[in-house]
Amino acid sequence: MSPIALTLAVFIILTAVTTALFRDVLSAIVVFGAYSLGMAILYTYLLAPDVAMTEAAIGAGVTTILLLLTIARTTRPPTDQLFERIHLPAVVVVGGFVLVLLTLLPDMYAVGTEDAPIWGGGVLEQTPSLYYLQETYADTGAQNAVSAVLASYRGFDTFGEAVVVFAAGLAVLLVLKREVFT
Amino acid sequence: MSQADSYDDTYTESQVIMTSVKIIAPFTLTYGMFMSLHGADTPGGSFQGGAIIGVTVLMLAFAFGIEPTRQWLKNSFVVGLVTGGVTIFIATGLATIALGGNFLEYDTFTETFGIAHYWGMEAIEVGGVALIVAGVVITLFFATAAGFTPERRNEDGLEGVSDDD
Repeated sequence: MSPIALTLAVFIILTAVTTALFRDVLSAIVVFGAYSLGMAILYTYLLAPDVAMTEAAIGAGVTTILLLLTIARTTRPPTDQLFERIHLPAVVVVGGFVLVLLTLLPDMYAVGTEDAPIWGGGVLEQTPSLYYLQETYADTGAQNAVSAVLASYRGFDTFGEAVVVFAAGLAVLLVLKREVFT
Repeated sequence: MSQADSYDDTYTESQVIMTSVKIIAPFTLTYGMFMSLHGADTPGGSFQGGAIIGVTVLMLAFAFGIEPTRQWLKNSFVVGLVTGGVTIFIATGLATIALGGNFLEYDTFTETFGIAHYWGMEAIEVGGVALIVAGVVITLFFATAAGFTPERRNEDGLEGVSDDD
């Protein structure tokens, strides 16, 4: 693992843990924004700019603003404590889960390795991802394979996702009993 | 403090924020549109682009106050964005079926009108997803900012719920 990725990973884990630990909700939201920004940079570093842009725009931007608005509209109990009291059984359960996941970590393929199943186990047979990377331009005329999969090869799935976003907006209006969008 | 102006109790006028938003907003709007329109060839896409277009309005609301922005932005415009996006998406899919293909089989456009596959994708990306996401981001923001509307609160007999922090 390169020093940059290692620094980012440590930063992300630290911000994630402090988000859970901070007693004050405002502090937790600010640290959560920093966590999203770290994730966005890590995605860019892992050559996934599409996901990174979503994380930066939605995770660090919109989510932070919505959470800030929510605490501005609700009551916030004043507190002297900096950190939340740690609930020991929860730590045991979460720690056990993390340990189970860590034991599986050595079995995972390194990022970008040619042995990964996605490349057909190093044989470079015709795998779905290889097909998309090689044939997307001829099939659709789009240079961004991710966009082509979303809009063309898996267009019906994207239709479902778009309608889900629409339904989510309507659901918020229903819950808040509002009849106007703005 | 009355119910009507209690929405903006968190707003503080700041010359620094207003000036920087005035300078940045045209660029974020352009970048969001660029990302939506150019998503098929460069990183990003209409989802991200739509989100950035929506965030531009959120930035304006943060700089100039939520209530003035709410009055400036017509309700029918946001309704048009969201429902228009869904309509364009469905219409594109049904048009391909009407031309004898499957749902969103853009090659039927090529056979009938000579429109390249690429422009079918652009139609649902720019006309569908980008509009829906931009509209829903704006909707979520204003709905969260308003909370329960005062009229409803009076009807439900829940008047007097504190808005203070």
